[in-house]
Formats: sequence, structure tokens, C-alpha cells
Amino acid sequence: MDINFSKEDLAFRDELRDWLANDYPKHVKDKMDKGEHLTRQDLVDYHKALSAKGWMGYNWPVEYGGTGWSATQLYLFNKEFGMAGCPPLLAFGVSMVAPVIWTFGNEEQKKRFLPDILDFNTWWCQGYSEPGSGSDLASLKTKAVREGDHYVVNGSKTWTTLAQNADWIFLLVRTDSSGKKQEGISFLLVDMKTPGIEVKPIITIDGDHEVNSVFFTDVKVPVENLVGEEGKGWTYAKFLLAHERFGIAAIGASMRALGQLKEIVSELDNPDLDKKVAEMEIAISALEMTELRLLSDLENGGHPGAESSILKIKGTEIQQGLTELFVEAAGEYALMYPGAGGYGSNDKPSGPEHAAVSLERFLNFRKTSIYGGSNEIQKNIISKFVLGV
Amino acid sequence: MNLSYTEEQIMLREQIQKFCETEYDFYKREEVVKSDNDFDENAWKLFAEQGWLSMSFSEESGGFGFGPIELSILFEEFGKTLVIEPYLANVVLAGSVLDKSNFSRKVELIEGISSGSMHVSLAYAEVAKSNEYLTPSTNLSVENKLNGTKSLVLNGKNASKLIVSCIKNNEFHLVLVDPSAEGVSFNSFKTIDEQTCAEFTFENVNIDGEDVIAYGEEASNILIEALNLATLCVSAEAVGCMLSCYQKTVQYTKEREQFDQPISNFQVLQHRMVDMFIDSELAKSLLFKAMLEVDSNSENKYKHVSALKSHVGKYGKLSAQNAVQLHGGMGVSEEMMIGHYLKKMVAVDAMFGNADFHLKNIG
Repeated sequence: MDINFSKEDLAFRDELRDWLANDYPKHVKDKMDKGEHLTRQDLVDYHKALSAKGWMGYNWPVEYGGTGWSATQLYLFNKEFGMAGCPPLLAFGVSMVAPVIWTFGNEEQKKRFLPDILDFNTWWCQGYSEPGSGSDLASLKTKAVREGDHYVVNGSKTWTTLAQNADWIFLLVRTDSSGKKQEGISFLLVDMKTPGIEVKPIITIDGDHEVNSVFFTDVKVPVENLVGEEGKGWTYAKFLLAHERFGIAAIGASMRALGQLKEIVSELDNPDLDKKVAEMEIAISALEMTELRLLSDLENGGHPGAESSILKIKGTEIQQGLTELFVEAAGEYALMYPGAGGYGSNDKPSGPEHAAVSLERFLNFRKTSIYGGSNEIQKNIISKFVLGV
Repeated sequence: MNLSYTEEQIMLREQIQKFCETEYDFYKREEVVKSDNDFDENAWKLFAEQGWLSMSFSEESGGFGFGPIELSILFEEFGKTLVIEPYLANVVLAGSVLDKSNFSRKVELIEGISSGSMHVSLAYAEVAKSNEYLTPSTNLSVENKLNGTKSLVLNGKNASKLIVSCIKNNEFHLVLVDPSAEGVSFNSFKTIDEQTCAEFTFENVNIDGEDVIAYGEEASNILIEALNLATLCVSAEAVGCMLSCYQKTVQYTKEREQFDQPISNFQVLQHRMVDMFIDSELAKSLLFKAMLEVDSNSENKYKHVSALKSHVGKYGKLSAQNAVQLHGGMGVSEEMMIGHYLKKMVAVDAMFGNADFHLKNIG
């Protein structure tokens, strides 16, 4: 047993740190450090900078222009970027739809879509959840009917993250209602500019516009935009969700937050809070080691399965717990909340500088135990596939 | 022993419930949030007509002499519907300070509050003095010039009079200040539960000797009593939130179907909701204890208000978080009520000392 990274891994980590120190776009870094909101352009600049370095395909095979990184390298990438306070990479294109396209798509689709994802020329969003289909995704009702050389799509999707920015959406649709609900689902790629698509904002409790409802009325989608086989969409959807797990523990980001929290708390003389921060540090350490153990297993040819749900459950509990401690550290000044984006150039109240950002994160992060398969669903997965009950 | 509310108290609750149901639904609340005043003039008038603004004042001040039990009923109901009218600021904080004082003009001011024609705010908090309310940095000089900054002044922007805590000659003072006087400036901010609070700065503000409401031990006792009563009231509000959180969550899980059945069929959710129910019942019990101790003015009243505040600070937030979680995406939507309970619970825990702070007052 050896807990140390290899020389090669350490050299790789230095390369990551070098990029973060020199090539991480400054205007994005400044805003992230201050807790300000990024614009669409900021996010495009950030992703394009990664493309330029050749790291956009961080989890792609070399064959499609990816990095071909090992699991350890992926881990280091996530951790270093998290600790540097970088925005999380938008997963929808690069780590959700892309693996589906290269695994199940045809040559024409690979050529048409993958290079633009790698260069961040297209912004993707995810058309999965529906008003009546959340945890029970397979019950989805958005319908696609084949008419000649295209499908006609009718229905609606919800909680669609950043659909207002997106160029394309990957869509789970029902092409057949006759059999089991998991059968008859198909996977379509849809241009957001197609007539009949309407995006309506959903404002969340932090006051931000991050998610949307997307409505489809007689939307014509060419049949060449069907991925794989008609009716096999559920298989592809599950395959995609397995990829979504990666990096969900957010160890790097939580370590950064812990460091900031410790700085704040060290000035407060509040032993109760000190104790909670210490407990949080233990939880982060335990989770990091769990992720490393899974990683080591993977690199030694193992196939860790449902254990990775631990990362989602504990990772999000830690992220949420940290935001709660920041709010506690704001004391009485947690009462004031200017809404998403902070006070801007307006008059700021006295009290801790971090209060507004802390409250925003606290409210925003409630979503983490709900999305990506709620933590209740994750526990069902563990009890079924690990405990075998 | 009899732990039932009196008929009058039950009637009061029904009256308030009727108002909340018919005149203050969530859409109405949204209108008030978006308005410039951040309170509803018509609702406030109605509160005055119903006698809710005067009920807790002593009879010699023109009130009904109702006590902490009636206030707790009102706040519990307000908590259920998330009423955001500036009741705490006017009636409980400023009003009870005036009522308990021997201030010469108190009847006139209390009449102003009771009729809804005047807003008065209590400026008791300062930024570097977290929870140490009796040693403010705000100073009243021997020439009666007021200097200092007060923050978290609830409803401060609507106030036509302020009660400001300060030190003069090493003695604690409560003085009446006109916000339009020379040397007074303020900024108003939104609170997380959609109310407002202001930060006031006083620069050489002339205070008339007759505007001293109280000083010395009398003043500190009055402030401590008022803050204890306010702590009881926001805790009662939290109890209302907790009850609504569990009831609305039960209702939602019965209606929401996934995997071809209502999600209330799943045992893991059932147990979570049972915990929410138990915590809200325990909160109610601690509320009973606290309001009865305050009502009888027992020496343990501070301790029992602390026990209640600590419990609702911890379990109230937990209940609201569970309610959000069990509502899934709907729980984090601004246009659904459920997420606003969580914001209210954050506000309640932040005000007048959080769960850990009050835990230290026990034992």
C-alpha cells in the first residue's frame, strides 16, 4: 500500500497548477473569487480556454480528441480545479451527451457533434425531467411521432439547467407507449432554434434564474438526429447518468470552502462553531479517502459499482453542511439577503462580507441532494446493489 | 392543571386564521413583497380595527392587556401563512418597550402604533456587539448629542420614530429619535424572509432631555424583557412554520405520484415526515412552557424561552430542509411557498441569538 502519487502524477498536478496560475482567464477568476455571477460569455471564455489547452475532453478517449487521462489524473484535475475555485465544467455537452454519441451514435453524428463539443462551439442542455417524471424518469410523456423523414415532438421538460443559454438539447422522448414504460423511449438531439420550442425561466429560492421549463409544440426533428435505435433510449439514458456521477463528490471545491470557513471562524471566538467545522473536516477527509479507494480499485482493474453513490450522498451532504456553517458564521447578519448576485454597486450593510454570498449558496445548494438522482434514490441504489436487500 | 386555550383565545386564533386564509394567501404575499412599502396598508388598517395592534398593551396604555399567550397564537398563525407585516417591529419590540416604561409620552405613541397611523422601530443591535445589547457603542454625550450606528433595525425605513439604545455617563439609555432629525441617515436592506431592516447612523443628533424613555437598570430591564418577548414571538412563528412544513409535505407526498404510486407510500419518506411531526409537537410543547413562564413572569422565563428558541433554531431549519427535499424541485422554486418556510427559519435562527447561543442559557 502506498498513499503517495507517482512521480508522473505529481508532474501532471504541477501542469494543472501551472495552467491555473497562468492561463485560467483572469476575468472569470476574479468573479469566482468574489462570488459574483458569471455571464454566458464568461463561461464560454472559460471553456474555450480549456479547449485551447486540449483539456476540454478531460474524460474522453484519445481517439475522439480527448485527453485519455487515467482515473487518478481525472481525480487530480477535479480536485485542483475545485481547490482553485474554478466554475464546475458544464457537463451537458462534454460528459453527458458526448459519451452517448461516441458510444451509440453513428459516424456521421460523431463527426457532426463531437468536434464542436470539444471546442465549446455548442452549448448543450439536458432534456430529461418532466413535471410528472422526476425520480421516476422512465414514466416520461414527451412524445415524438415519426412523420416521413422527421419526428414531431410535443410535450415539456423541466428543471432544464441553463436552457436559456443552450444551442442544443438532448431529449428523452416517448416513441412508443404500448409496452413497458422503459421501452419505447428514444434519444433525440434537437437544435434549440427549431420552431415550436419555448424556454420559460424558473426562479429558484436564491432568486436566481438557473433552471427552466422547456415546452415543445409540434417541433420537427430530422430523423438523422435520433441517436442509436428507436426505443433504446432508456439504455442510453442510464449510461449517461453513470457518467454524471464523476466528480460529484466535489472534494476540491469543499476543501476550498472549508479553508475559507476556517479563516472566518478563526476570528469569531465561537467554540460551538469551531467544533462543527472540525467535524466537517473529518467528513471531508473520510470522503476524499473513500474516493481515492474507489479510484485505486478502478486502476487495479476493479469495477466499483453502486459504492459510488456514497460519493453523491456524502459529497452533497458536505457541500450543504458547509453552506449551513457559513450562514451560522454570519450570525445575526444572516438576516439580510439582497438576492442573487449580491449588493452589486449598491450600499452594503455592515456585518460580515461573506454573508450575502453565504446565504445565496445555502439556498442554491439545496438542489444538490435533489438533482442527479435524489439522495433517497441513491440510498435505494446502495441498498439494492450493495446490501442486496 | 389545564393546558387548553380559553374560548377567547380560540376565537382570537380563528379570527387570525380567517384573515390569513381569506386575505393573505401566497399570491397576496407576493404582491406585498413587490410593493414599495414592504407591508400592506390595508392589512395593517385591518389589524388595527381588529384590535390586534393594541391587544398586548396594558389597559392604561389603551390596550386589552393580553399577554404572551395571545401573542404566541398570533405569531404561530403568522408563521403558517408567512405573514410579513411589521408586527414584531412595531408592537412587540418598540411597543412593549414603551408600554413597560414610565415615559411621559408613551400613551400617545402607543395610540399611534395601535391605530396603525405610526410606525416605531427599536434600534438595539450593533455590528460589533453581537448579542451584547446592554453595552452599545452608540453614545449620548453630556450635551445630549447622539453618535453611533445601529444595524438590523426591523422596518426601519417605515419608522417615523426610533427607540435607540445608547450609553450616557456609563449608564444604559433608551431614547426616542426622530429619523428626520438632522444628522440621521439610513440605508434599508431586504431580509431573507422578505421583510426589511435598516442601518441607521447618528451624527451629532440633538436629543431633547424629554426624549429619554428610560435609563439605568430600568432601561436595561425593559430592553431585556422586550427582547425575550420578541424571541418568544419569533419562536412561535417558527412553530407555525414547522406545523405547516410537515402538513404541506404530507399533503404533497400523497398527491405526487412516481413509480405508479403516491410517494407517501415509501417508508423512508414516511419516517422522515414522522420526525418532522414529532419535532413540531415538541416545539409546540416548549412553546407552551415558555409562554406560560413568561405569562406568570417567573424567574425561569428567560431559560425557557431559550430552550424553545434553541429547539426551533435547530429543528425548525431541519424540518424546512426536509420539506424542501421531499418537495424535490418544487421545493427550491421561488413561486412555491415551501422554500419560503426555509428562508423564514433561517431568519428566525439568525435573530436574537441562534440555537447554539441559547443552548448556553440552559442549565
